[in-house]
Amino acid sequence: MSFSVSLRDVTLTYGDTEALSDVDLTLAAGKIHGLLGRNGAGKTSLLSLLAAFRKPTGGEVLVDGRPVWENVDVVSRIALVREGGDFDDTDTVKSTIETGELRPSFDLEYAHKLAQRFEVPLDKKVNQLSRGKRSVLAAICGLAARAELTMFDEVHLGMDAPTRDAFYKELLAEYMDRPHTVILSTHLIDEVANYLEEVVIVDSGRVLRHDDVEAFQGMGATLTGPADAVDALAAGLEVLAEQRLGGTKSVTVGSALDASARERAAAAGIEIGPVGLQDLFIHLTNPDRTGA
Amino acid sequence: MSNSTLAGRRYSLGLGLFTESVKFFAGWILAAIVLAVVVPFIVSQWNSIEISAWAVAANVGKYLVAIIAGGYIYTLLPITVAQGMTRREYATSMGVFGLLWSLMIGALAVAGFLGERALYGALDWTQAIQQGDDVQLAIGSFGDALEFAAVYPLAYLLYFTAGAVIGAAIYRSDGGWLVLVPVIPVTLLADDAMTAGGPWGPGWLVRFVSGATDTWSVWVGVAVTLVVIVTGALIARRIIIDSPIRPKQA
Repeated sequence: MSFSVSLRDVTLTYGDTEALSDVDLTLAAGKIHGLLGRNGAGKTSLLSLLAAFRKPTGGEVLVDGRPVWENVDVVSRIALVREGGDFDDTDTVKSTIETGELRPSFDLEYAHKLAQRFEVPLDKKVNQLSRGKRSVLAAICGLAARAELTMFDEVHLGMDAPTRDAFYKELLAEYMDRPHTVILSTHLIDEVANYLEEVVIVDSGRVLRHDDVEAFQGMGATLTGPADAVDALAAGLEVLAEQRLGGTKSVTVGSALDASARERAAAAGIEIGPVGLQDLFIHLTNPDRTGA
Repeated sequence: MSNSTLAGRRYSLGLGLFTESVKFFAGWILAAIVLAVVVPFIVSQWNSIEISAWAVAANVGKYLVAIIAGGYIYTLLPITVAQGMTRREYATSMGVFGLLWSLMIGALAVAGFLGERALYGALDWTQAIQQGDDVQLAIGSFGDALEFAAVYPLAYLLYFTAGAVIGAAIYRSDGGWLVLVPVIPVTLLADDAMTAGGPWGPGWLVRFVSGATDTWSVWVGVAVTLVVIVTGALIARRIIIDSPIRPKQA
C-alpha cells in the first residue's frame, strides 16, 4: 500500500517569516515525485509537515487521507531522510541502523546488505564518518525503513557521483520491487530527471507548478542543428539556454513548437528534443519572470 | 532492539533505554562506589571520619539523573520522531525509563547507605549527613540508615522530572532555559521537604529553600514531592508533544 499526500490551504510561519503560503497540493500514491525549488523556497518546510516534524500554522496535512500529526499508524510508515541524517553522532553505525527497528517495517537484513555494498563500516562511530558516508548511512536508513511514503531531502549531498548513481539505482530497484510513494528533493535536477514521474516546483513558499514530467518536457523544446537555421527558427521564441560548438548550435526554447515550426525544423535539418528539466526549472523560477 | 509492534514499542523503547543506560553508566556507578569506600580510608589516615561519603555520591547522583533526563530528551526526541514515532510515544518511553532508572539508582543509594553503615560501624567511624557548617544528622543504626535513605528513589524521580522539563523546554525553544528559574527552586523545595538531610548543592542555591519546610513532616514532604513529580511530568509531556523538530544545522 502506498500513501497519497494532500495539503489543503497550508500555511507555515516561523516567527514573522512565512515559509509556506496557502499551499494546496495533492500527490498521487505509488509514484516518484520530484520536489524542486531554489534555496529557501520552502521544500524542507513542506517535507517537515508531511513527516509531522512540524505542525502547520494553518490548513490541513493529510497522508493516506488521514491527519498526519501525532498519528501513530501514519507516521510509523513515513520516512523523511534529511541531509546528514537524524542520528546520535556518538553512536556506532551498527546501533544507528538498529534504531530503525523502532519501525515495525524496518528491514535490518536489507540495511546491513546496503551497508556492506556501500562500504559503510558498522563498527565506526557516526562522527568518524566522512560527509559522503554519513549521507549514505542516512540513505540506507531511509531505504531500509520500507515506508509507504519515503522522502529524501538533499540526501545526496557529500556523495560522489558513482555513489549517487548507485543510490538512485537502488532507490529505483526498491521502488520497482515494492511500489510506494517517493519524494525526492534535490538541486541535482538533471541527475534525477529520468527517475521522476511527477514534478512539483515550489517558489517563495508557494507551489509554482505541479505536473507530470512529460507535461514539463512538452513546455519547451531543444533545437539542435546548423547555427543559422537554429537562430532563424528560434527567432521570436523565448530562449532559455543556448550552446554553440563550431557551426552547430543547441537552443532551448520555453514554448512548444507548432506543426509548421516542426516542418521548418525538419526541412532545415534541425533536431527537436525535449526540454531539459533543469533549464525549464531555471526559467520558471527566474525572479524576473516570477516577479519575486 | 528487534522490530517492535506499534502498540508495544513505546514500552520496549523505555526498557531499552534503561538497559542500555545501565550498561553505559556501569563504569560511572562502579567508580562512585569505589570512591565512596576508598576516600574515607585515605582521609582516615589524618582525620577521624564524621561524614557519610556515600551521601555525597548519592546526592551528586541526583544532579546526574537530572542531566541524563534532559540530555536524553534533547538528543533522542528528533531521532525517535525521525524513526516514525509520535511525540506521545516518546514521552511515554521516557516515563518508563525515568521510573526504572530512578528505582534502580534509588535502590543502589539505599544499599549504599546500609553498606556504609556496616563499614563505618565496623571501623567505629561516624556516619553523618552534613546539614550546615556545624549541624550534622547522625545515622547510628541500620534502621536510621534505612529511614534516611528510603526517600532516595522518589528524590531521583523528582530530579529526573526536573531534568525532563528543562531538556524539553530547551529543545522546544531557544529561550527554554528560562524554565530553570521556576524548576530549580521548586525541585530543591520538594527535596528539602522530603529529605531529612535537606537539599544538597551549592550553598547559594540551597539557601533559597533551606528552612522553608522545617515544620513539615516527611509525609507532607513526600506528598508535595509526588504533586511536583506529576505536575512536572505533565508539563514535560505537553512540551514534548508540542515541539517541532529542529532544522538540521549545516
